[in-house]
Amino acid sequence: MTSTIERTDANRTGAPALTLRGVGKTFGAGSGAVTALRNIDLQVQPGEFVCLLGASGCGKSTLLNLVADLDAPTVGELQVGTARPSFMFQEAALLPWLTARRNIELALQLAGQGRRERRIRADELLALVRLEGQGDKRPHELSGGMRQRVSLARALAATTAVGEAEGRPGMLLMDEPFAALDAITRDVLQTELLRVWQATGTTILFVTHDVREAIRLAQRVVLLSSRPGTVVREWRVGDGPMELHTDLHTEITGRLRQVITSHAA
Amino acid sequence: MPHEPTPLHTGRGTDENLLTSPAATAVLEDAAAAVAGLDALDTPTTTTRPWWKRAVSTGLPPLVALVVFLLAWQLVWASAITAEYKLPAPIDVWHAFAKTVADGSVWSILWTSVSRAFIGFAVALVIATPLGLLVAKVRVVRAAIGPLLSGLQSLPSVAWVPAAVLWFGLTDATIYFVVLAGSIPSIANGLVAGIDQIPPILPRVGQVLGARGLSAARHILLPAALPGYLAGCKQGWAFSWRSLMAAEIIAAGPLLGFGLGAFLKEGSDFNDMPSVIAAIFLILIVGIGIELLVFRPVERRVLRARGLALTT
Repeated sequence: MTSTIERTDANRTGAPALTLRGVGKTFGAGSGAVTALRNIDLQVQPGEFVCLLGASGCGKSTLLNLVADLDAPTVGELQVGTARPSFMFQEAALLPWLTARRNIELALQLAGQGRRERRIRADELLALVRLEGQGDKRPHELSGGMRQRVSLARALAATTAVGEAEGRPGMLLMDEPFAALDAITRDVLQTELLRVWQATGTTILFVTHDVREAIRLAQRVVLLSSRPGTVVREWRVGDGPMELHTDLHTEITGRLRQVITSHAA
Repeated sequence: MPHEPTPLHTGRGTDENLLTSPAATAVLEDAAAAVAGLDALDTPTTTTRPWWKRAVSTGLPPLVALVVFLLAWQLVWASAITAEYKLPAPIDVWHAFAKTVADGSVWSILWTSVSRAFIGFAVALVIATPLGLLVAKVRVVRAAIGPLLSGLQSLPSVAWVPAAVLWFGLTDATIYFVVLAGSIPSIANGLVAGIDQIPPILPRVGQVLGARGLSAARHILLPAALPGYLAGCKQGWAFSWRSLMAAEIIAAGPLLGFGLGAFLKEGSDFNDMPSVIAAIFLILIVGIGIELLVFRPVERRVLRARGLALTT
């Protein structure tokens, strides 16, 4: 375990994993144009776990799409200091014709890994998300929570494989990955994610609309306003169990509510 | 909007605590147990029936239906409501069929038609697949010929026969033209529908995993479109077989081989009702046989792998 933690610490120093300066995104042009993001400034350190928090319409997903290079910013500067980021969606989005293991292997294959290597790595990742022996099942034979864990394993596979291929650490973008799950499964997967994050030291940018989830997971919570999305405020989350953070929870919830009610008029 | 970062505590430093303290270990073990429990509860259950039960439940009903049909036919014939030359006895049809088997002509008749249908279908696949890809992925092409392609599906390909006879004369070219005109639109439309029905999330998954261009087509697009493509192929086969029979019945000549359609036409020309009905049955049996032996197993495999049920 010690070696893992040393590696983790090494990942958490050096050049920023992500830098956004004055980033804005506008869809369409003229009178019908919609500004989704305006003047976003954000820096994420390597190995850091950051939650983007906001109500619907705050452009959280748009921001992730920009970082993932699925879309391009209209203005501003966006620098990714890690290898090509990998992405975990709100739905598991597994390829239904591939087994759980092949879904993970595809990420490794597309990053250029060989067959033997892929197989070993995929089994390791399946074990990491506690799905040993389930690798030969197809997505439809798995429960929602299991599918989401395969999706997590696939995203981790992509992060590490791309990182190795490019010779620098990876980054994981997560777009409300647990939102569609029931409360108990979500709780368990949050614990799992923290465990995996501590074991791998990957930079994680996690989008959510759930204050509790943000406090539980992140080292830093960034609150975005809605339409257009801008950074309202950010908080560092200290260590310790949830019970220690009730004040912070109240404060962030109050601020989020303020942001939402400002749209009512 | 000003940023107001509130640094409470930098660095995490909990890694060791979380992983080694007894309380944390208990939490982790608890999580592991919770994961295992949820998995056991949530995993969809699958039930498998023994093969003989499946064979009985799928094989018996059509067999019973066939026996009932033959009995009804025999009854109607025995009651002599209709003239003998209009409705022969089942046994006479059987004799007409047995005669072609006895002199061996049934094999050459079947071979002529089935080989034509297969060659026609194969050529249609080669033409329709890139055509379907173009229509599905290139907006201009879709706007230009998309409606025409789906419109052509409702045009009975027998309508092409007179034109084809004038263009190509009574040759194999006429037959193949009609077969292609029947099956290409179906296959191409099937592929277009298959691609259109791909959930938009899947191409994005390919993109974030780094699949571009050809590798995206190979790993994401084509496998995702496969069920629709297969359905199109199945329909394309049915259309090509139908068109072939229409062409063989209408276009008959010395340059054309003697296929099932010609066999049927000959029976009709000689007022030989048992031969006509035997020919109809043969056409039906070949059509159903190819569907059951070729398309059904492939489709079943593809759909089952995706957790989709076979509807027909």
